[in-house]
Amino acid sequence: MQCWNCNTETAPGTLTCPRCSKVQPLAPGSTYFEAFGLKPTVDVDLPGLERVYRERSLQVHPDRFSTAQARERRFALEQSTLLNDAYRTLKDRASRAFYLLKLNGLDLSKEDAGTQKDMPLSFLEEVMELREALDGHRERGRLEAALEMAGEVSVRRSTALADAEASLRQLLAHLDEENSRRDASHALARVRYFTRFLEEVNAMEEEALG
Amino acid sequence: MSGGLLQIHDPLKPAGQAVGIDLGTTNSLVAAVVNGQPRCLPVDEAGGTLLPSVVHYAAEGGVLVGAQARSQASRFPTSTLASVKRFMGKGRADAETRKLGSYRFAEGAGDVVRFEVAGGAPVTPIEVSAEILRTLKRRAEAFFSAKVERAVITVPAYFDDAQRQATKDAGRLAGLEVLRLLNEPTAAALAYGLDKGSQGTFAVYDLGGGTFDVSILHLVDGVFQVKATGGNSALGGDDFDRAVAEQVLSAEKLTAPTPEQVTTLLAASRAAKEALTTQEVTTLEWEGRRTDISRAQLEAWIAPWVEKTGPVCRRALKDAGLKVTELDGVILVGGATRVPAVRRFAETLFGRAPLGDIDPDQVVALGAAVQADLLTNAQRQDEVLLLDVIPLSLGLETMGGVAEKLIVRNTTVPTAAAQVFTTFQDGQTAIDIHVVQGERELVADCRSLARFRLSGLPPLAAGMTRVEVRFEVNADGLLAVSAREQATGAVQSMTVKPTHGLTDEEVEQMLLDSIEHAEADMHARQLAEQRVEAQRMLADAAKQLRENGDLLEARERSGLEAAMADVKRLSEEADADTLREAIHALDERAKPFIELVMNRAMTRALVGHSVEQP
Repeated sequence: MQCWNCNTETAPGTLTCPRCSKVQPLAPGSTYFEAFGLKPTVDVDLPGLERVYRERSLQVHPDRFSTAQARERRFALEQSTLLNDAYRTLKDRASRAFYLLKLNGLDLSKEDAGTQKDMPLSFLEEVMELREALDGHRERGRLEAALEMAGEVSVRRSTALADAEASLRQLLAHLDEENSRRDASHALARVRYFTRFLEEVNAMEEEALG
Repeated sequence: MSGGLLQIHDPLKPAGQAVGIDLGTTNSLVAAVVNGQPRCLPVDEAGGTLLPSVVHYAAEGGVLVGAQARSQASRFPTSTLASVKRFMGKGRADAETRKLGSYRFAEGAGDVVRFEVAGGAPVTPIEVSAEILRTLKRRAEAFFSAKVERAVITVPAYFDDAQRQATKDAGRLAGLEVLRLLNEPTAAALAYGLDKGSQGTFAVYDLGGGTFDVSILHLVDGVFQVKATGGNSALGGDDFDRAVAEQVLSAEKLTAPTPEQVTTLLAASRAAKEALTTQEVTTLEWEGRRTDISRAQLEAWIAPWVEKTGPVCRRALKDAGLKVTELDGVILVGGATRVPAVRRFAETLFGRAPLGDIDPDQVVALGAAVQADLLTNAQRQDEVLLLDVIPLSLGLETMGGVAEKLIVRNTTVPTAAAQVFTTFQDGQTAIDIHVVQGERELVADCRSLARFRLSGLPPLAAGMTRVEVRFEVNADGLLAVSAREQATGAVQSMTVKPTHGLTDEEVEQMLLDSIEHAEADMHARQLAEQRVEAQRMLADAAKQLRENGDLLEARERSGLEAAMADVKRLSEEADADTLREAIHALDERAKPFIELVMNRAMTRALVGHSVEQP
């Protein structure tokens, strides 16, 4: 890589040129981990992530370049956009896990990901049961009961997330990749379902708040 | 000594001071960092810093802005536009247009609000706001004796994309390069935070004339990170005035007031509301009728509006993942937070006394000035950074009228997101894309921002054509949409039509028109200003003649009357310069008379004083 302004050689992922300090364009296909100078990992040090986020934001935020030339402003916007999107994704355990699985070849946000089909039957039964119970509470306006269910579901969600993380650690260490990927995707499908369930209860609560 | 003389003009950059502008519903201000300190600049002869956000369109042409415009409101209610910010980025059917007011709405191209005014074609809220911005620009230029061409303009944090775009267009129309649209609560936090070098988590409760915002911010090491924001862009002190006015109307059993009546009643209601900030009881005088109003009554009438701010604050805290007890401070912003009931409500809600040492009317403009300085002053750029969020989710219409969110509310900007669409019919060569903003599930309940058609797709079997629609939101919170057909990789032709705004072409045309008519406009404005001045002088002189005419000898009196007749005659003609001379002549004539009147008043006061001595 070479600096667009002064042709100095720059390492991949460089934010600003070490010589002329101009903002560099985003390397194509930069990952969220690269935006923080990290290797893909389940275990992110959050205070460290936040600190790097602040430091790099100060370096590349478009407000720092409002009087710069158009080209550098564009690069700053791209770098800052990636940094914001990366920070939002990596600071949250669940979204970080989904992202890691995506980096490893399985994007659960795509409808044709095919994970629902091979989910174990027991999970589908669990889903039906929870759904019927919540619908019942909603129809009778029993917010308290729904909140109680939410408490229990959020415990299940935590467990599923921990399971997913364990499988992702295996996957990242290249141990039994086939099974690790499948286990991670099943666990994350559970996380996704429980998250939606909690969002529905949340919506009920907001409606009750008026 | 300031470095002004040593500054070298860089031909590549626009010259002059960058200013911060608070374009408010009720009042607007312009501020700048002068000798390292933010300060509000004078906008009138008396040195006041509040420019009433009122624009008057005179029948003979010419536009007045500020206090001069407001003085015309009772005579020309429909051509004197106040609180226009409420209509920025709104469509003709918006609920705002149905609230009590003296506006006359006009038809016109596109679904954009237009006001019928005297002296020319209907005007959009963007053009009216541009008049206010132009006046502020001129006042700042007078203060600095130099061109002012760059500004940070504040917007309510809860403004949607259409409202932000409208504000930016108004800036452009006023001949300003808008460096940044800055959220008002964030600006306020900046004004506070820099002063104190604070760290911690703060809530900003901002209740202005027409909008309510709440923002939760985290300050650390010079980075102001907005965690969550919420609000209601149709809630403010104006609603309190209307609540009072509606009580008076119903007490008087007046169901169809004239525009004149609405204007004068709203002004009287505002005065009563303001009086009740310090008094327990006040008398509202309107059309010769006197209504006593107590503070308790006012509080009961406005309670529904004040209480609306509660759930909004609770939701913002929840979105930020915080409890009230985790806050380190609360900042009150906006003129409506002077109302004791509002202060009390905010205090109870947040469980602590708010910070209030900066004037709530000025704090937003001061923060905007700081941001303008940060953006343009290279020496200051390492100090402070604002990381703001979008207030409302952005999405696309999908099958069945459902809104699919691409970027959720409270996402830090700048940000981007993409979504892939496929065709659903064989041989389909176009896709309609509808961009919406809001939290609701159905498109019908969200704000429609823009529609566009992506055409020229290869005619393939259903589902084979894949189109990626990409949203990019910049630091202003403004959205740009692009679409790319994935097989060919080519960005396809598309026309974006803002649902409730002006197209770029329309803004360009207005800009060209305003340049072309700049000289005529300036003459018309000067004439209109002189006419207002003439009106004021004639009314004053007539009053003094009535009350103290006996002080004048017949010769003096007829001289004065002749000067008055000159002013009166010339104010009906169209030459600003001759009118100005006539006003000057009248002023000179009146001086000895005014001196006599002053002497009499003084003597009477002294006599009265000695009589009261024990």
